[in-house]
Amino acid sequence: MFDTRVCKLLNIKYPIIQGGMAWVATHELAAAVSQGGGLGIVAAGNAPPEVIRDEIRKARRLTDKPFGVNIMLMSPFAEDIVGIICEERVPVVTTGAGNPAKFIKKFKEYGVKVIPVVPTVSLARRLEREGVDALIVEGTEAGGHIGELTTMALVPQVVDAVRIPVIAAGGIGDGRGFLASLSLGAEGVQLGTRFVCSTECTVHDNFKEMIIKSKDRQTTVTGRTTGYPVRVLKNRFTKEYLELEEKGLSFQELEDFGAGRLRLAVKEGDITKGSVMAGQISGLINEVKPCKDIIEGIIDSAIEQMDSLLSMKGGGGQ
Amino acid sequence: MTNFERVKNIIINTLEIDEVASITMGTSIMDDLDADSLDAVEVMMALEDEFDIEIPDEDAEIFKNIGDIVRYIEEKIN
Repeated sequence: MFDTRVCKLLNIKYPIIQGGMAWVATHELAAAVSQGGGLGIVAAGNAPPEVIRDEIRKARRLTDKPFGVNIMLMSPFAEDIVGIICEERVPVVTTGAGNPAKFIKKFKEYGVKVIPVVPTVSLARRLEREGVDALIVEGTEAGGHIGELTTMALVPQVVDAVRIPVIAAGGIGDGRGFLASLSLGAEGVQLGTRFVCSTECTVHDNFKEMIIKSKDRQTTVTGRTTGYPVRVLKNRFTKEYLELEEKGLSFQELEDFGAGRLRLAVKEGDITKGSVMAGQISGLINEVKPCKDIIEGIIDSAIEQMDSLLSMKGGGGQ
Repeated sequence: MTNFERVKNIIINTLEIDEVASITMGTSIMDDLDADSLDAVEVMMALEDEFDIEIPDEDAEIFKNIGDIVRYIEEKIN
């Protein structure tokens, strides 16, 4: 069921990928998603290269299934991380915060599949030409760093513009969102927030609990004035940040104010002064469960939903 | 229309710029016209369509100003 080109490309059972969330996407989470039949991702974020090598090796000890690494291209270590991914023969890499074009040749040499996150049609077309294997098309509903367009509007436009497989991301948290993504022409989905609230995810319990308790209007966007908008759950930190933004603080001043806040929330569980990055789908998520159950639940409910849609077709009469 | 004017028109239309008089060969689209990296991609794609050429990222990366773009395009089409 749902055996798309993304499954074949990545050698996975279900076309469900876990988002590359800095500090959150550790080897424990990545391995659990891969064991569950999806594609787990270790996020490199701004971490030093040797830490990521260690994470890759630890993930390998927990699963013999394929998993990937996400590179944040603005990281000062991006180039070294590319080297490690190749040396360690990681089969898949997803990239964010920039254009991975200059690394594509090296990845190809080592047989690493390259899947960038794209927020516009033009960048999607360009990267297809540069030889990437698939695209993660992420709407503004997502948590963390975001683009402008919604998943609903952007995914079909990119699907029409490229031939390579598209993976939808942003605002997807259950079987309905999964099936809707396939309807838009995507051949897979990437989930971030949903996997944060998994048993295997190592973020502080306060972080998970805050997502579970969230309602639909709980997220806000910081950093619109700096050109690097970030979706995050509202708390004291975001209130202060937005006030400073309104006062017209410079990019550097805002960066300094925000520095270390994600780690504070993820590791220390300080959900008042920390940055609790999460997507608009937070309001839909109401329990923590194992990754395998999350993935199988999505597939089962998507099948159910598909049957229910088919029943709307009627008996051919009308 | 000169190649500079054609490039300038593409940039003006893609970035929706009103003050066109100040745009010269020395203007940088990112530093002077406040384009972000995604806007720059839009400009490159529009230039490719206008001149029927391909501008790979590795070439686009070294453009510092509109003059660099015009010279690059002239080399490609001649």
